[in-house]
Amino acid sequence: MKGELYLAWRYLAYHRVKTLILTTSITLIIFLPVGLRVLVRQSQEQLTARAEATPLLVGARGSPLELVLNSLYFESDVPATMSFGEVRRIESTGYALPIPVYVRFAARGHPIVGTTLDYFDFRRLRIAEGTNLRMLGDAVLGARVAEELGVGPGESVISSPESVFDIAGTYPLSMRVVGVLEYSGSPDDEAIFVDLKTTWVIEGIVHGHQELSGSGAAGLILTSDTANVVANAAVVQYQEITADNLGSFHFHGDQSTYPITAVIAVPPDQRSESLLRGRFESPDELLQIVPPVDVMDELLETVLTVEAFVIAVVVVVGLSTLATAVLVFMLSLRLRRREIDTMRKIGAARRSIGAVMASEVAAVLVVGVALAAILTGLTSRFGSDIIRSLL
Amino acid sequence: MHRIRTVHRVITVSIAGILAACGGSEQRDPSTSENARAPETPRDATVYTVNYPLAYFAQRIGGEHITVHFPAPPEIDPAFWQPDGATVGAYQSADLVFLNGAGYAKWLDVVTLSTSRLVDTSTPFRDRFLEVEGTVTHSHGPEGDHSHEGTAFTTWLNPQLAIEHAASIEQALSARWPEHEGSFRDGMTSLEADLLALDSALVAATAAADSRPIAASHPVYQYLANRYDLNLESVQWEPDRAPSGSQWNDFQRLLSEHPATLMLWEGEPLAETSERLESLGVTVVVFDPCANIPAEGDFLSVMRQNVESLAAVLARK
Repeated sequence: MKGELYLAWRYLAYHRVKTLILTTSITLIIFLPVGLRVLVRQSQEQLTARAEATPLLVGARGSPLELVLNSLYFESDVPATMSFGEVRRIESTGYALPIPVYVRFAARGHPIVGTTLDYFDFRRLRIAEGTNLRMLGDAVLGARVAEELGVGPGESVISSPESVFDIAGTYPLSMRVVGVLEYSGSPDDEAIFVDLKTTWVIEGIVHGHQELSGSGAAGLILTSDTANVVANAAVVQYQEITADNLGSFHFHGDQSTYPITAVIAVPPDQRSESLLRGRFESPDELLQIVPPVDVMDELLETVLTVEAFVIAVVVVVGLSTLATAVLVFMLSLRLRRREIDTMRKIGAARRSIGAVMASEVAAVLVVGVALAAILTGLTSRFGSDIIRSLL
Repeated sequence: MHRIRTVHRVITVSIAGILAACGGSEQRDPSTSENARAPETPRDATVYTVNYPLAYFAQRIGGEHITVHFPAPPEIDPAFWQPDGATVGAYQSADLVFLNGAGYAKWLDVVTLSTSRLVDTSTPFRDRFLEVEGTVTHSHGPEGDHSHEGTAFTTWLNPQLAIEHAASIEQALSARWPEHEGSFRDGMTSLEADLLALDSALVAATAAADSRPIAASHPVYQYLANRYDLNLESVQWEPDRAPSGSQWNDFQRLLSEHPATLMLWEGEPLAETSERLESLGVTVVVFDPCANIPAEGDFLSVMRQNVESLAAVLARK
């Protein structure tokens, strides 16, 4: 058998281009459907892990998928906003801990997530460097954000304007970086976390400005009476919150009407979850309450359906490729007739000649399968990291 | 031979790789596990408050089972204090933070605290807040929103409301540490008895007021006036600062419409201020709101002293 294997090896090595093509074809025939299945399964796990860890989401009526993608993955367009007063409504039921989030703004391509300290406890996010949020204007960076921007505690990031054409829109706010989170392997690594009130500063609802009393403020006043002073547009609003101007920041209007994009509701048990969902069942209800895992399952069902079609196509293509490889082999047998005759003439038995041919096929198959296995192993090992970076 | 061994190794690796690929997709990357639990870290039962009356109530109710912190410097009015980052960090470490409500402690608007640990102790009587008259607000543009800064916040000066503050504290402590509920109830009962006695004493003391005009040096006595039907008008003076000429003129104009014969002060005014008030027929009565830790005694002893001082003057006049 050693001689047959040697001859097979020498033949394959001599016709290396043909061998490479055949091996690659076998590898791809096996790896494409298997690797695709592995990737899809890992994507499914990644997406559903985040959704499974979030019991309920409350948001304005609209697309549940948009609400989930914006609130959990900080992607997609900004959904319709809801009012901050709804947080108190949920809290007053006693059925869940409400964690408001406002995901609308961005800084250098990274989403700014306005929320409360409860978010960090809920997501089990830990500070790797510096401190957590403490004062208005503080920012805590996800691990990847700090890496990509090369920014750390003591430095600052500036929020991006929503539109370069809207000069009367949101002001860029310089936010003081006070901390960097540990790597969590979740979309939180790509986000910039600020206090909810800081996002309202970016929006302009909360602001600080010069004093409107005193002799220096004469040019800043439109009208005044004994009860109210009306400021004009000359009043300069601070674009950076410092220890000196912190005390000047204030709210206008009723805080309960301020906007947020969602509330993560964390019920203590199944019964509370059911009761809370019941509170939002009324047809007049302006809000929707969704379990993110249901929304993601629906999305993934579509993905899996597409995956099944893709795999079916790949399998069909693979079979046709295999058929082509068999045809190539059969044709090469015909072309090697003289070679086979030579082997017979020098004393090789039919069995030995058959063993040489079979060894060539087996070697190509074995190497192809081995490479497919290695690629599948690498996909399994590193696929989740790649998916996380893309999500 | 060498080449056969190589082929055998390739076959072995392939089989191993296939097995790894089949098993790898089943393994769950622990870094994706959103439900990994950190071990529970035991903590002391720590409570922070935004003013001294709440700290006193919490200590009376919580007793040895909790540690109460009120870190504002003693010389500062806690309502207008701005803690630094380190102090905010200390508040963040608390198991519970008791808030006064009614817009007290404006610094709460510019710091980050865990909302699940905040307890607004005035929630039960939010509908009974009093507005401060004469506040000047501001707005932006002809149709901009107004800022609302006109809610009186010294709610604890009404002992009935102080009891409701304390009840909220007891409720929060019992919910957080139910194993000590009985002890908290005992503390609350004792405190409630003292506050009711204080209320009775104030009722008796102010009975002699009988709609008599009273002045106040600072607009902090709204809830006291409301509870005991005091005919009270306030100016905005400080005990450690002599009023200006225009302030005296305004005061005299006030006296012409509101002929007060006694004036409540947060602290002892300057001697010259007292003398001038005496010359106008106005007796100084120190009624310390006790928002911060007193130099001597505690909240109850300060309030009892306030009652004695007020009663003495009202009985004379």
